[in-house]
Amino acid sequence: MLDTIRRVQSGDFAVTLAVMGLITVGLVTLSGISEPASAGFESQIVRQSVFVVIGVFLYITVATIDYRILSIFAWGGYVFAMLALLLVLFFGVERFGAQRWFLFGPVQFQPSEMAKVALIIVLARYFTALQEVRNSTWTFMGSIALTGIPVVLVLLEPDLGTSLVFVVIWFCMAFAAGSRLLHMGIIVMLGIISAPISWFVMRPYMRERIITFIDPTIDPLGSGYNVLQAQIAVGSGGWWGRGIGSSTQSQLEFLRVRDTDFIFAVVAEQFGFVGSLVIISLFFIIFLYALIVVVRAPNDFSRFLAAGILAMIAFEVLVAIGMNIGLAPVTGITLPLMSAGGSSLVMTLIALGILVSVSLHRDVALFHASSRAELPAGRRAGHRF
Amino acid sequence: MDETTGRGAGRPNSSSRRTLLIGAAAAAGGAALIARLWDLQIVRSGEYIGQAEANRTRQQAVSPVRGVVYDRNGVQLVRNLPIFDVWVMPGDVPEELLPDVATRLGELTGNDGPELATAIGLGQGRPLDPIRLIRNVTRETALIIKERTLDLPGITVRDSAKREYFHGEVMGQMVGFTGPISPERTEEYLERGVGLDEDVGLSGIENHLQDLLRGRDGRRLIEVGALGEERREFAYTPPESGRSVYLTVEVEFQRGMHEIMARFLGDLGAGVAIVMNIDSGDVLGMVSYPAFNNQLFAEGISTEDFSRLASDSRRPLINHAIAGLYPPGSTYKLVVAAGALEEKVLSPEHIVDCPGHLTLPSGWIFYDWLLTGHGEVNIHRAISESCNVYFYNVSGGNPYTDLVGLGERRLAEYSRAFGFGRATGIDLPNELDGIVPDSEWKHDNLDEPWVTGDTYQAAIGQGFVQATPLQLLNMYAAIGNGGTLYRPRLIDRVENSQREVIDIPEVEELGRLPLSADNLERLRSGLLEAVQGVNGTGKQARSEVASVAGKTGTAEYTGQLVEGGNLPSHAWFAGYAPADRPRIAFIVLIRDGGEGSAAAALVARDIVDFYFTGTVAPMRYAPFSSRRGIG
Repeated sequence: MLDTIRRVQSGDFAVTLAVMGLITVGLVTLSGISEPASAGFESQIVRQSVFVVIGVFLYITVATIDYRILSIFAWGGYVFAMLALLLVLFFGVERFGAQRWFLFGPVQFQPSEMAKVALIIVLARYFTALQEVRNSTWTFMGSIALTGIPVVLVLLEPDLGTSLVFVVIWFCMAFAAGSRLLHMGIIVMLGIISAPISWFVMRPYMRERIITFIDPTIDPLGSGYNVLQAQIAVGSGGWWGRGIGSSTQSQLEFLRVRDTDFIFAVVAEQFGFVGSLVIISLFFIIFLYALIVVVRAPNDFSRFLAAGILAMIAFEVLVAIGMNIGLAPVTGITLPLMSAGGSSLVMTLIALGILVSVSLHRDVALFHASSRAELPAGRRAGHRF
Repeated sequence: MDETTGRGAGRPNSSSRRTLLIGAAAAAGGAALIARLWDLQIVRSGEYIGQAEANRTRQQAVSPVRGVVYDRNGVQLVRNLPIFDVWVMPGDVPEELLPDVATRLGELTGNDGPELATAIGLGQGRPLDPIRLIRNVTRETALIIKERTLDLPGITVRDSAKREYFHGEVMGQMVGFTGPISPERTEEYLERGVGLDEDVGLSGIENHLQDLLRGRDGRRLIEVGALGEERREFAYTPPESGRSVYLTVEVEFQRGMHEIMARFLGDLGAGVAIVMNIDSGDVLGMVSYPAFNNQLFAEGISTEDFSRLASDSRRPLINHAIAGLYPPGSTYKLVVAAGALEEKVLSPEHIVDCPGHLTLPSGWIFYDWLLTGHGEVNIHRAISESCNVYFYNVSGGNPYTDLVGLGERRLAEYSRAFGFGRATGIDLPNELDGIVPDSEWKHDNLDEPWVTGDTYQAAIGQGFVQATPLQLLNMYAAIGNGGTLYRPRLIDRVENSQREVIDIPEVEELGRLPLSADNLERLRSGLLEAVQGVNGTGKQARSEVASVAGKTGTAEYTGQLVEGGNLPSHAWFAGYAPADRPRIAFIVLIRDGGEGSAAAALVARDIVDFYFTGTVAPMRYAPFSSRRGIG
């Protein structure tokens, strides 16, 4: 433990500050828009604070544990997550027309959030293990199968946004793991070709969101309402924002689902362009950190892990912000670390904890092999996975 | 070793390079976000701030209380009755619930559900503009609707007011009524700042003084939430209540006039009577009989009542005192007399021989009403005995003597100077101008040349001459008061809602009669003689209460021939009293009333008596119906 703390470098410290900063802004924003009437665990802000405490605890814990342990639990975790995704289709509670949550007393748990991290770990292990035949077609097809299971299960909930996250995680990890560009290209082509077909199998609300994304003014009081109101909120923020009290778009509830989908619009209205830049910069500190971790990664497993985590968070951040400002369709992807929602917050913090763990343990041999002299051994140890 | 240095020297392996590409893609995405944010928050910020403001603030008009109309003594002629209206905010009615809401509301109010649904549906194009669905529901219904808000989303009850008129037919014509804006006038009223669901004055004073009575909207600037629900009030400008108007008319005098007209005219007759203060032009009473009860319209007139009023050939919906045009007959002769004297066509002593007719060389014969002739006639006798032949001579000239007449052009000029051919400007809607014919007029309207016979006809108020009763009255008032033509005054004073008098419309001169004092006196003595003289045509107007001066008129008009093969005719009597120091001018028109001396004069006498005694004398003559041999 002490060893681990000693190894903390400025980069690890900076990313932790960025994470805490984002969480704080998220909490402040949520406290500004949550209903003041409710108290106790019923109150969204109290609930979110509890998850922040849990999440931060897990972040630190995961960061200090050697990430290589994850390799052992990779398959078990994956199977567990897939079972959870299957079970939620039968035993989950339904909200907003989708069955995505387990209910444990007052706590709701969204298994798809866990499945993202499980998928990253299992793919990292999978690509590492098949390193020699990494660019074979069968390896490639196998990774598609691993990803296809959660994609299908989540689509059944239905949750288009999260299934897209799975696809992006897989795509980036397969790419990073050295899949042949021919394979990747074929997949991209298939995606483009199947786009018109998928239009017909889409549910009506999904089509509506695409149409709204293309032109929200078609139905300004209906499906385009949220998008237009979010843009008004963001736009009216100006340079410095309108402050917490006088953000009329947020305070008067012209913005809906402002605690999750449209939380960035609330922040942008309150804190303006400068505030938006700060938020984006904090996320980019995390991305940069993840890239550094990738580059410095001692072995493939950790490299793939970090690449997957980077892909997941970057995609979620870009889409979640993009849909607030008309750059992406509304997909229900929440803004990591800021949107209300315990599962997302906790799982994001765990993922970030893994990232830090990779950073902290890159020069460490597995199981207390801490001597610097054994560095190459450590790297070799990594290869075993 | 090799691997170790490779890692440390910043030469990443293939996986890392590929991951850096992913990072580059993320950076590109981030750059796109920032560019877009720059566009939204900096470049177009003003536009969005405006939209956010428009989102949250809404202006609401606050309706003013409509002003009240009183008579001269403060007797209330109309009041505002509090009622309840049902409104809907179309955007607040969920589409799937619309039929249910409409049905429920229909059941509660006794309206047609599908019709209500259509009305709400139409409003959903502008979901934030409330519309009035139902007027005037009972208090009980209003309370039920208020209680059942949850069943009736978007439906609200608002306090409102409707007009209640007193005095029925006596004041109905003059005060008029309010009602919904007709579709073809919506633009105009919108420009005047009137809400389209408002009732506006449709006739009478209500119509003419619409803006004054309505007052001005107040304004509320409110902050609203996303559902349009009110959050708080930013600013409030109270409405400016409508002004209260006091008429120059006294309701009790008007009632007496109405009674005198009604008892004579009954179910078949029609006519006009107006009394005016001779020194100010104040209208003291104005009856166009038959009239209508404006309260019927306020309550929402039944089809039956409306078709009765609309199909009555006497046209009770029109105020014939100002919007009826009639040939003025002999009452018009004073214009000719004035012109002839002033233009020195002849001297006052000049004698014209009246054999009972005048035959033009062309062969046209123009008769006197007295076929035996008046004999030798000067202006005094010509007026008092209403000699047609005298006025033929002085107007169109006599081809057999050296008398050159006034001529059509000068006759028309005098006619206009006496107030004919243009509306008097009384504060009532739809007043007509009338017609002062001359050669130009005939050319423009009939494309025919003017002939001497036209001048003859015009001289006795026949032919093309058309005037409103009010115009004729105004001329007699001017003769009676020494020559001043006033704008008839109907609004005595205007009060604000604090009951402070804020305006007293001035007594307004339209002009002075172009008459010397001597000539004016000659006309007046003729008018006095016409009533008081042995051979006067207006003897039947002679009153025991006050000395009356006046002039009869019998104006034939083209219509169904009456007994004896004569054209039907209107009966006039116009004059003033007391003759020596006149206080009032009056006019009576009995439409289709036969000889003026027989009908109009008798009614005029009753009205004069009533003015000076305050009581309506018992009827001393046969009613209209018996005169026509009917009933």
